Formats: sequence, structure tokens, C-alpha cells
Amino acid sequence: MELTTEQNNLSNLKLADVLDLEVLQKFQDSFAKGMGVASVTVDKDGVPVTKPSSYTKFCLEHTQSTDSGVKRCAESHRKGGAEAARLGKPVVYECHAGLIDFASPIIIDGHLLGTVLGGQILMAEPDETKYQQVAKELGVNADEYSKEVKNVKILGREQIEEAANVLFIFTNSMSNAAYQKIKLNSVAETLSDSLNQISATMQELAASATTVSENQNNLNNEIKNVDSMTEQINEVMELIKEIADETRLLGLNAAIEAARAGEAGLGFGVVAQEIRKLSDDSKQTVGKIKEFTMLIRKSVDGTVSMGNETLSTVEQQAAAIEEVTASVEEISSMSQQLTNLASLK
Amino acid sequence: MANTQLVVFELAGNEYGFDAFTVNGILRAKKFNIQRIPGLPLYIEGVIQLRGKVSYIFNLKTKLGIEDTAICDESKFIMINIGENVAGCIVDEVTDIVSFDTTNIQLPPAFAQKDAMSYMKGIGRIDDRMVVLLNPEKVICLAECFNIDKINDAVSSLAATNASSF
Repeated sequence: MELTTEQNNLSNLKLADVLDLEVLQKFQDSFAKGMGVASVTVDKDGVPVTKPSSYTKFCLEHTQSTDSGVKRCAESHRKGGAEAARLGKPVVYECHAGLIDFASPIIIDGHLLGTVLGGQILMAEPDETKYQQVAKELGVNADEYSKEVKNVKILGREQIEEAANVLFIFTNSMSNAAYQKIKLNSVAETLSDSLNQISATMQELAASATTVSENQNNLNNEIKNVDSMTEQINEVMELIKEIADETRLLGLNAAIEAARAGEAGLGFGVVAQEIRKLSDDSKQTVGKIKEFTMLIRKSVDGTVSMGNETLSTVEQQAAAIEEVTASVEEISSMSQQLTNLASLK
Repeated sequence: MANTQLVVFELAGNEYGFDAFTVNGILRAKKFNIQRIPGLPLYIEGVIQLRGKVSYIFNLKTKLGIEDTAICDESKFIMINIGENVAGCIVDEVTDIVSFDTTNIQLPPAFAQKDAMSYMKGIGRIDDRMVVLLNPEKVICLAECFNIDKINDAVSSLAATNASSF
């Protein structure tokens, strides 16, 4: 039995999907032989899905020997089947040729899948004139026809009704059980598909968490480089400040020498003053640069701590993803068991 | 009207000045180690070696009764010529060397001309600034760095003795 999601849709469901036709054929043959009734199973369009079991000579060789007979038989079956489907239970009726037939519907959730037709019997001794009339209508030999009808088996109404009931109960319980299995299988498949999707998404999530983590680590390293560079800048700044201090001292001492030289030192004094001013400017600039590098280091520290927070969040996420993945795997294996159960014939 | 050059410096936020003529030079305090000498007055911080000679370093704050602070990055020694010797004093920073009109000096009042205030030559005004002009010979008292040459000789001979004993 091939199981697809489409079969879950009742209008697409075929009789062969819910009944093993070989089993049905064997059952139908044995049943027909045992009960002494003819039987055939047709789909919802009236097309036979089994070979006829124990058909009477009366029907096969006489009634259906003309085109008109075949047509009338088909019409009679259709009408019987429609009535059974309408009522939702087996019906026993007289066919166009005056034999007793029954139709037992195969119904799943109110949808007709097919009908088990049967009968070709009588409930009382046949009235010859009636069959001679039918023979005329069909265009068959009336004498042979009324002679053959005497070979048709006679059963009580209750027996016929019970025979129809047995077929009804058997086919409907078999097909309904099979249909439930199909539905179960479809659910299990949907579940399995969803779980596979979740699993794939979880893997993507885990991969992206790893990427985020790697990127953040790289970022942290880059930021640490910035930190060590500002450290180096500060070292250079120390050197420049030292030079500025020494230069200032040089300027001061030069100014003192110039002062001592009196008039002759005036020009030199001016130069000495300029040197001092320059060294003061340098020192102030160094101070500003140091402020900036301090701000840089502060913001680097902030960035690093935020980066560490991001890392720990990502780690938590990765752990959560792992937990979910483990749960999904567990559910997946249960879903697999469910699928296996549903696939058993 | 006469001009003089002043070396202006800071002690605890106030400005003081020495006549530039008396100043031998300015040194950065952190470049030197001060060797403490027990037994000397508190306002003598110790001695340093400058160009092969020993010079006394005075703590001006202690001497003038200003609250003392540790020597910092910007601290300087102003080296003063005292006779044939050179002695230094610790200042917070040398702020300026200015040309100064002596008429802008206000002499200390009569009530302050006693010994206690004799270190002060007067108060110089440079625009809004007031600079306490110090008399180096009073601040750095000769009596206290008595006979530096003798000490220098003693140090040298001691060093020689030590060297030979090894």
C-alpha cells in the first residue's frame, strides 16, 4: 500500500488505497461460494475492481448476452449503489431482470469509495410469465430464459440481508482502519518533515552562533591592538614631554645667562624666551594628546566589556541551541517509530 | 629707573623671585638624588653632586614656614651663587624669567625689617601678579653651609681612603 499525503484528501482516495484487492478478491470468492450468492466490488464510478465471484449462468449467459441486457444490468447496479450510498447502509432490491440483489456501500467519513454488489438469487419460486416478459424486453430466448431462472438459488430475505451486512461490516471496518493508518502516516510524515526543518534551522543557528562568536573574538583582538597602540603612543608622548621639559630648562638657563650678559645678552634672551614658549606649547599638546588617548582607552575598555557580554550571550544561545537540538533528535526518533508503526500493513 | 631680571618661581601656589644675577642655573629635581645628611637643620634637604662638586639643597618651604610637599615631576632646583659656592633650593616650578623695573618693587615696611623678615627684599608687582622678592644670602645662610670646600675636601679624602683600603 503506497501512502502519500494526497490520499489523506478523501476525494483522491481510491478503494485500492484502503483495501488489499487480492485479500478482498479471496474473501469475496469464499464468501460468495459459502453463501451461494454472486458478488463483485466496484469503485465509486461503478468500475469493477474485483473479478466477479459465483456469477449465475442466468445473468452471465442470458441476461448479459445482449447489449441492452448489459446496459440494464449496469443501470440497475448504479441505482442500487446510489441508494445504498444515500442511506449509508446495505440495501436489498429487485434488479431489472427480477432477481434479488444487494448493494453494500464502502464509506469513509461520509465519502463513498465503492460498493460491494451481490445477490443474483430469488426469495421465492419464480413466476415464469414474468421472466418471459423480461426475456422479450432483453431480446433473448424467452423459453430458455424462464427455464434458466429455475436454477437460481432461493434464499430467505433475512439471509440475504445478513450476507449484505457481513460484507458491509467487513469492508467498512477494513477500509476505515486502513484509512486511519493513512492519516496517522501522513501526520507522522508531516511531523518528521517539520522536525527535519527544525533540525536544519537549529544547525544554521548553531553555525551562525559560532560565526558571531568567532567574529567577536576577532573584534576583541583588534580592539586590544588599538589598546596596545595607544599605549605605545603614550610612551612616545612621554618621550616628547621629556624633551619639552629639557628644552624648557635649556630656555630658562639660557635666559639666565642672557640676563647676566646684560645689554649684550638681550637678543639671546629673546631667543631663549621663544624656546621656552615652544616647549610650553609642546607640553600642552602632549597633554591634549594624552587626554585623547585616555578617551580612546576608555572607549576601548567599554567596547571590550560589551564584546565579552556579547560572547557570553552567544555562548548561552549556543548552549540553548544544543539543548533544543537534543530534544528535537529525541522527538525525531519517536516520530520515526510512529512512521514505522503507521507503515506496517 | 633701572631694569633687573627676575627668576620667578612657585612655592605652594605663590610666586617668589630671585635676582637672575645671583642664579647659577636651574636643574630638574627628578634628575638628581638627594643624599641626606643627619644632624643638619631640617630645612637642609641634603646634598647633591653637581659637576663633580657637592652642593647643599635647601628646602625653601621648610625654611619659610610653608607646608612642605614632596618633590614632584616639575620640581626644580634653583642653584644660587653664594660667594664662591653654589647651593640650591627646591621650588615647585620656575614659571618665568622677566625683565623688571626696580621702581615696581615695594620695600618691606619698617615693622617687617627685623631679622624674622630679613629674607624678603620686597614685593615686586608685574601687572596683577605679586612676586615676593627673596634675598638669597638670607635664605641660604652661609653659616649653615659652612666651609663647603672643606667638606668637599673631606669627601674626596674619604673616598680616596676607601678606595685604597679595597
